[in-house]
Amino acid sequence: MPPRQIQICDDDPAAALITQRGLQNLLRDRYTITVASTPNAAWLVCAHSNVDLLIVDPGTGGSQASALVRVMHAFRPMTPILILTAYDTPGLRVRMRDLGVSYYAAKPIDFKDLLPMVTSALHLTPIPDTLPTRLHACHHR
Amino acid sequence: MGELEQLRLQVATLERHLVETTAHAEIVEREAALQMSRAVDLGARLSAILSISAALLISRDIDAIVQLVVREAVNLFPGTSAAHLFMTDSEQDGLVLRAANNPAVILTRPSVGLAGKAILSPRAMLLVGPQLDAALSDMSADQIAALRDNLDTWPPLSALLAPLRVESQRFGALILYGGVHAHLYHPRDLPFVQALANLAAVAIDELSQRTRAANLQRDLTLTQSLHAEAQARLNAAQAQLLQSAKLAAVGELSASVAHEINNPLYAARNSLYLVEQDLDPDAPQRAFLTIAQQELGRIARIITRMRDFYRPARAELAATNINLLLRETLELVQTHLRHGHINASADLSVEIPSIIAHADQLRQVFLNIILNACDSMPNGGDLRVKTRLLHARNEAPITIGIDICDTGFGIPPEHRPHLFEPFYTTKAHGTGLGLAISAHIVTQHGGRIMVESELNQGTTFSVLLPTSNI
Repeated sequence: MPPRQIQICDDDPAAALITQRGLQNLLRDRYTITVASTPNAAWLVCAHSNVDLLIVDPGTGGSQASALVRVMHAFRPMTPILILTAYDTPGLRVRMRDLGVSYYAAKPIDFKDLLPMVTSALHLTPIPDTLPTRLHACHHR
Repeated sequence: MGELEQLRLQVATLERHLVETTAHAEIVEREAALQMSRAVDLGARLSAILSISAALLISRDIDAIVQLVVREAVNLFPGTSAAHLFMTDSEQDGLVLRAANNPAVILTRPSVGLAGKAILSPRAMLLVGPQLDAALSDMSADQIAALRDNLDTWPPLSALLAPLRVESQRFGALILYGGVHAHLYHPRDLPFVQALANLAAVAIDELSQRTRAANLQRDLTLTQSLHAEAQARLNAAQAQLLQSAKLAAVGELSASVAHEINNPLYAARNSLYLVEQDLDPDAPQRAFLTIAQQELGRIARIITRMRDFYRPARAELAATNINLLLRETLELVQTHLRHGHINASADLSVEIPSIIAHADQLRQVFLNIILNACDSMPNGGDLRVKTRLLHARNEAPITIGIDICDTGFGIPPEHRPHLFEPFYTTKAHGTGLGLAISAHIVTQHGGRIMVESELNQGTTFSVLLPTSNI
């Protein structure tokens, strides 16, 4: 069985890399996690493979990201979408909710808050064994 | 003998002359007595008229004036069975009996009845016999019945009528009824009844002018205070607009900084998390790692506070009626519009639902656009405010469209792309923040602001607001 796939769309390379590494750390080799820097590139990947989760940072404008969300709903309606934005505004939140996006997070979210959203979007049951035991170390900040 | 006879004849002639002279003296005496009694009568009437005029001078109430005139009319013409004073009444479109020595109300139309004849007459009249019968026969059965109830004897055999008028203005009529005596009144009474009517008319006119002047003065004072209040409200709103513009400029800067920082902060914070995953629980570096994580957490909290400062607080969001907000804003600038000779019209759709919004901020958006529209029409023009409900696509949210159109000089094409940029202005004393802030507020409400402009034709700003909540 080929590994399942998570697609990240983020034009900030450092942020994209950290999201990728953090998720990879959590999900190990059960998922392939790929990164695209533009919504167009992300759509190309989604169109040609079975992506199980699309994580999108809409950037400053957000119009291309909205188009990506619309096209995903039209052609890949089963793929959950998580918006992970550095430009969180009430307007963006409303727009994304109106487009039918169920998962929305604002940077700089902590991984320990982001990871439960990802597992929920992937319909995974968070099994304590699969989580790094040292995860709890950062809880007492 | 001849001489004696002659003397007798002379005596007889003298005696005849004496008788004639005595008779003449009696006639002259009677005439003198009559003239004397007339003079006394005239004197009495003049002094009555003078005392009436003195009394009218200090009367401050129309009812008091008419009662006085009617009472004195009866005293002035002894034998008068009743005196009526009718006044024109625009509400009832006719003459209304305001005072009688036996009060009741009789309505009549000009030209009908005694009062109708009197008001149309240029001067006082004395009616007797067939003329009086003809005037009474004009009246309806109801009017005659009402009049009959007011008189001791019916029908009256003579009547004195006088119009109440000042220059060309007619106020009413004074009627005196002579009762059973057909020769009670004499043509020489006419100047007196007219003088009485004139006195009454002048007093009533003076009183109504005084009342009108007082009303005008009160209206003027009210208008002035309303004007001052409106101006104060507009000044306060403009000051608030400027203050918010300044605050918002600072806020916008901090918000954009906050957004720019979010990506690197996210990367740095979670990089530490990944490092921590691979670190031995007892590693000495863990202490510094924890400090770094805590400090980054602090930065994140500061950034969130900066961003929230710029965002409308949740508590200030409330159900807002856009039509009401527009009406309030137009009300606020009403004086400004009037002074600028700008005709404002509002076409507000009743379909529009209330939306959850920050009313004060949206009011600022509308105020800003309307004041800009006024600035673009220095010689006056038309300002049109329109609201409508837009159903675009099925999946799209229902949107409220607000159009604010002016007939000003329009926006040159080279300025249009920069309209919503902060600090971009074409006005000598503009801050260049009004439209930037407006656009920001509308965006914060999940909406859009657009502009269409034609040089020398006018400009339309359209604000689109989704009906779904923020």
